[in-house]
Amino acid sequence: MSMTNRIRKVSNSGGYFEFIKWTLIASMMAIFVLPMMYAFLAAFRQPNEFYAETVRILPEEPTLSTWITAFESLQGQLVNSFLIATGTTIMSMVIVIPAAYVFARKQFPGKKQLFYLIIVAMMFPYVLLIIPIVSIWDELGLYNSIVGLWIGYQIFVTPFAIWILRDYFAKLPTNLEESAQMYGCTQATAFLRVVLPLSAPAVVAVGFLSFLTAWNDFLMSNMLTTGIGPRPAVVQLYIITSSEVKHWGLVMAMTFIIGLPPTVLYLLGRRQLSQSFSVG
Amino acid sequence: MSFHQWSFTSTAPPEFIGLENYLYLFGWEPFYTSLKATTLFAGTTLLQLIVALTAALLVNSVGRFKNVISSSFLIPYTLPPVATGTIWLYLLNPNVGPIFKFLTNQGILDSPIYWSVQSDTALMAVIGITSWTFWPFMFLIILASLESIPEEYYESARMYGAGLVAQFLHITLPNLKTAILLSISIRMVWNLTKVSQIYQLTSGGPGYSTSILAVFLYRFANDQGQFGLAFAVGVILLIITLAFTLIFIRSFENSRGDDA
Repeated sequence: MSMTNRIRKVSNSGGYFEFIKWTLIASMMAIFVLPMMYAFLAAFRQPNEFYAETVRILPEEPTLSTWITAFESLQGQLVNSFLIATGTTIMSMVIVIPAAYVFARKQFPGKKQLFYLIIVAMMFPYVLLIIPIVSIWDELGLYNSIVGLWIGYQIFVTPFAIWILRDYFAKLPTNLEESAQMYGCTQATAFLRVVLPLSAPAVVAVGFLSFLTAWNDFLMSNMLTTGIGPRPAVVQLYIITSSEVKHWGLVMAMTFIIGLPPTVLYLLGRRQLSQSFSVG
Repeated sequence: MSFHQWSFTSTAPPEFIGLENYLYLFGWEPFYTSLKATTLFAGTTLLQLIVALTAALLVNSVGRFKNVISSSFLIPYTLPPVATGTIWLYLLNPNVGPIFKFLTNQGILDSPIYWSVQSDTALMAVIGITSWTFWPFMFLIILASLESIPEEYYESARMYGAGLVAQFLHITLPNLKTAILLSISIRMVWNLTKVSQIYQLTSGGPGYSTSILAVFLYRFANDQGQFGLAFAVGVILLIITLAFTLIFIRSFENSRGDDA
């Protein structure tokens, strides 16, 4: 944020305006942060505290045992989630980087139509695919396998990722590759040694996006896995909440353990991810 | 391509997706319950837009704590939807959850509301929780757009004596138009096709009152194995979402035209 910008804000807004502004911010924080804080603190509570008559913000006898038990009981599923999300990310990068580059820089017949197809895919109601996918994956022997999920997630991940990365590549100066070629690069090395390093922030952000999409997804992993297969953590959490919960502290600890990786990745990559929509 | 998917899947007898499925749907009461829920649910996209726009304008106007505030707004969106669903299942639990405990202790309510067994409260809960979860997507995009509006625009507007309201109407809003159209059309489609959170919160019930079309489809396919009906619902859902996809493509093209 530039200095002039800040000065403008101070000089331009009266005390009355400032007051309304901060009141609004505070109430929004209350609506969006307080529930999460309360749920987070609940993860430190002993089981009996959940049956107390009064509402207390802080746990009476904070315990870490909920977190340890939660982590231990979810270990296998967390490993599954990690393998699923990592593989999805690698596979999507292999598809997305060249595709986005071609859309940003090259001309070819049918380019416009193909690009619209990607938008349609980005906005396609995936729930429609659940019936065909289960039967096709079953036939191909991909049902209940990690590789099956890697492939399945490409349907969700790649259109959005191509959209974001294409925009980033397109905004780089066009003479970049030309000057690289003057210094003896081929088209391929110009891309690998000049364009790709310059695009590192966007590429990493898109990688994060692939990872957290696969990590967060419930619909496809619930369809394509069973208890004996590679069940990911999110599905396990769903199963736990679909019957009566005995110890909410434990479940809250599980919730936040599962929620931590995607949250960190999203906050790290958010600037790159939001930019591609800002000016078409 | 979407239609290829269809013919691809219906290698089974062609009457599999006959008109009968549609006739059945249109003559069946729960289908209209689902359409009503879908319409209401679509309407919450506007609610999400208002929250997102307000938040983006507020965050853009603060100097300090900007990052802290915008990051904390984002957290509901970054958690897996099943995780935020779990958090609210606890907070709104009629027996042990803090919200109803607080309200009954304060005498605001006589007894906790068992919201998941009544259709209107179940719908309210589902709408509230999904909006709470998904609005930051539009916030992110609108904020990024706001930050990219050149400061000079505002400076020259002030030289001509424009007030805050005039600046908003003549600079901020026109510059945000594309971002708003893009984000609302994509958010609309994504809202209409969300299954996991609703399914976790209410399983689409009681009855069909919180089964938006996507959940309706999922229940036909997953719970009842009625694939023909599921496909019929799917086609209707697809037509609705394609309309918003067209809006998206149109506004994307227009924004490109302005740049050139």
